[in-house]
Amino acid sequence: MLTVVVSGLAIGMLYAAVALVYNVMFSTSKVLSVTTGHIAMLGGVFGAWFMTGLHLHWVIGLAGAIAVGALFGGLTELLAIRRVLNRSDEHLWLLSTLALATMVQQAVGLWWGTEPRPFPRLIDQTFSAGALDQKFWLPIALAALMAIGLEVFYRRTLFGKLFLAMSEDAFAARARGVSTDRIRVLSYVLSGALGGLAGFAAGQLTFAYFALGLTLTLNGFIALAVGGLGSNVGALIGGAALGLLNAFASHWFGGSYQQTIAVGLLMMVLLLKPEGLLGSKNVRPV
Amino acid sequence: MKVRWPKLLLRALLCTCVVSGASSALAQTVKIGWLSSLTGPLSSAAIAENQGVQLAVDEINKSGGILGRQIELLTRDTAGDPTKAVNFAQQLAFSDKVQFVIGPVNSGEALATTPILARAGVPNIVIGALDELVDATKYPRAFRAINTNLQWISTANNYATGTLKKTKVAIIADTSGYGTASARSAEQLLDKAGIKPVYVVLVDANKTDLSDEMSKAKAAGADVVMPWSAATGLLGRLLNARGDMGWNVPVVGHPALMAAQIRKLLNKPEYWDNTFAAGYQSTTYGADGKLPERTQALVDKVRGKLGGGEIDVLFWWVALGYDTVKIIEYAAKTAGSFDPAAIQKVLENTKDFRGVYTSYSWSPTERNGFPDANMAMNAASTFKDGSFKPAPR
Repeated sequence: MLTVVVSGLAIGMLYAAVALVYNVMFSTSKVLSVTTGHIAMLGGVFGAWFMTGLHLHWVIGLAGAIAVGALFGGLTELLAIRRVLNRSDEHLWLLSTLALATMVQQAVGLWWGTEPRPFPRLIDQTFSAGALDQKFWLPIALAALMAIGLEVFYRRTLFGKLFLAMSEDAFAARARGVSTDRIRVLSYVLSGALGGLAGFAAGQLTFAYFALGLTLTLNGFIALAVGGLGSNVGALIGGAALGLLNAFASHWFGGSYQQTIAVGLLMMVLLLKPEGLLGSKNVRPV
Repeated sequence: MKVRWPKLLLRALLCTCVVSGASSALAQTVKIGWLSSLTGPLSSAAIAENQGVQLAVDEINKSGGILGRQIELLTRDTAGDPTKAVNFAQQLAFSDKVQFVIGPVNSGEALATTPILARAGVPNIVIGALDELVDATKYPRAFRAINTNLQWISTANNYATGTLKKTKVAIIADTSGYGTASARSAEQLLDKAGIKPVYVVLVDANKTDLSDEMSKAKAAGADVVMPWSAATGLLGRLLNARGDMGWNVPVVGHPALMAAQIRKLLNKPEYWDNTFAAGYQSTTYGADGKLPERTQALVDKVRGKLGGGEIDVLFWWVALGYDTVKIIEYAAKTAGSFDPAAIQKVLENTKDFRGVYTSYSWSPTERNGFPDANMAMNAASTFKDGSFKPAPR
């Protein structure tokens, strides 16, 4: 039973990390990019490539995965977000980010191959550690650290406060001299770096696999919607709830019902508490 | 001398017509459509099969083609997507007007394309293993070159229960259509043999850890685990869970258990020991350590094309791809034409046509060409150049 809890929590925390990445992007652009899960996929694939293909130390592999994620985050803003937001208020970003996500997945599939590949061990540890294996606790620890780090960033740094200002009211922020375009691209670079880091930390759990992106995009979104859009603690709770629910659904009823239960959770929360567990209600002053 | 211009002109015109007619006959090709999932999930099999297809096409074209016509191979990458496969099948049959179609590679795609090709009357060499793909009445021009899924399952079941004498079977399959159907078939076949599995479970192919399922199988008293899935990630995790638990139960099942990709996913190389899967006589090393002559000859040719290194794909995929084109060559040459009805007649009266992968036989009522006698059980950890040693008996 301990393995069910720990493995469910580990994959749930990966979803939570993806939900945190959504939050960072959303804070400055009000966009939920389909590329979010693909950033984590890139972190895993490039991390594995740096370490097994180029035989670099895992620290350099980690730095490389973060750099690739940050680069892709920046590219997402430039290619799929900026022009769309400048020209239209409609949700066309859904299509532009979907197109970019598909292109990246296809490109990685052609280059890396379409079968999962191994992700090397980062810390010397026996494989019989069971629930204490690093493949479980690395994503758990990382998601918690990411949430704490983001809270500190938002509350203690100037850039964090600028993110919050844009999140509250982008027009007001611009009127007060904030370069909103620059802050938005910065938020995408930061979210890319965090996504790359998340994919790297969970690499042993997921393997380095080209088709992982869309699964993470979907489950990260469910975690976000359950926890409440904009809330980092909510993202952690939503991710953990989703991972544990999936694990126990699989344990009790088998894998056939796993996806149904995940989407059922989303439906239930949206019906009972549309703003999510810790999300704030949008009240429009009249 | 008096020159007869009208006659000369007539002769010149006649010559021009004859020459142009001859050159157009030379330019005529036989078109073969190849529905291959070269990208997308499960592309490993398609890429390997494509090597065999290309090699056979090159060889035949170098030796003068089929009935004097060069083969024009129209490869279409379906990316494993049934919708794309349907579009390409329609395009090949009705726009490109191909004489033959090979594939698609995956059964899910083939379920959608086989009726279309049957309606167009195009001879189709089927390379999907799902049992429903061929039917002499509904799809009279669809001939299966690969074994059936039932042959894989019954071979593995017979080995687990007959050779290893195991009676407490755990079946672990993925939640895809293929996995679900295979688990059901495996259970039914075991039931006929008087064995009721002690544990049956369907698992999401992307589940990140299978310790729970393997622990349950152990707790249920399983003495053999039989996985039915083509997902290498899932199979790798299953073997890792077994190894990490220190449970040396035999794992017997789908051929993907022996894929080279699995070896790379294992926590330790020895986790591949005590793992057996359904394979083929043609890709099994004999007691003298040698492969059958025809297989070895093809291995040598393919190795040359790959630069001389180790072959790291399941070699039966290459042999199957090679044979599909050779079957087409044999059918057209025997029929003496490319007429679909004549091709059908030849193929449905074929007995023991010798290929590399196997010897094929079809009849007016039987469209499965792969004989039971060429099935074999292999030991996964003996992988060498895409072939294996036999499983211990």
